[in-house]
Amino acid sequence: MSEIAKTNEKSLPKYRPATDILEREDGFYIYIDMPGVRKEDMVIDLQEDELTVSGKTTLAPAEGEKFLEMQFGDCEYVRSISISDIVDRERIKASLEGGVLQLHLPKVEKVQPKRISIAQG
Amino acid sequence: MVIDFNTLYNFPSRLDRVFEEFLRSPMGDDRRLAYPPLNLSSDDEHIYVRAEIPGMSIDDVELTLTDKTLVLKGERGAPQGKYYRQERPSGVFHRVVNIGVPVDRDKVSASMKDGVLTVTLPKSEEIKPRTISIDVG
Repeated sequence: MSEIAKTNEKSLPKYRPATDILEREDGFYIYIDMPGVRKEDMVIDLQEDELTVSGKTTLAPAEGEKFLEMQFGDCEYVRSISISDIVDRERIKASLEGGVLQLHLPKVEKVQPKRISIAQG
Repeated sequence: MVIDFNTLYNFPSRLDRVFEEFLRSPMGDDRRLAYPPLNLSSDDEHIYVRAEIPGMSIDDVELTLTDKTLVLKGERGAPQGKYYRQERPSGVFHRVVNIGVPVDRDKVSASMKDGVLTVTLPKSEEIKPRTISIDVG
């Protein structure tokens, strides 16, 4: 039984979810459309420079439901984004609301250049 | 797939492109036909219309039921900022669904969960199959 469940899981079609990446004053924002994905079914991984987001949908149709038209179905969303050094990895925030994953990637606080004054001899 | 904020620095692109092809949706073109994508289904009692509209609340979607159609209308806004990449559809959407079966208009309900809108339309009593018992005299 578990074998069957496993193969079923593997055959889920994979999609690259639609993603917006934008910059505001307080850092970068990433919005990813993942309709049908619950919080529990979502994985966000950060490995070195690569941020990978994946999630499986659970649409669960009612019993005895017959489909006349099907333009979306159960699937797995996978997307990876490479992030640069200006992102503060420790403070990345994620929230999932209404099927949209929002990531906030703040920038590393800039080291202020120091001016050295030269004393007149 | 790789979005580097520094565009001068994206050398692992070739491998990523191969991977990207692999991940591309086989029905990607279907999806682009109309927004939002719809599922239409029915069971004995109801007709279900489902749509993927992530990021919208139920109040932002206008649903109109006429004699033969269900109309979904709304506007999806885009967040403000300096864009590096914009793929999520935004703007006004409008979809008309033909409902060929009479429905009980007063009992139509709609709900939104995880970005998926479900409209449940109960089939009208008159078209439900009925068993008629025949008394054999």
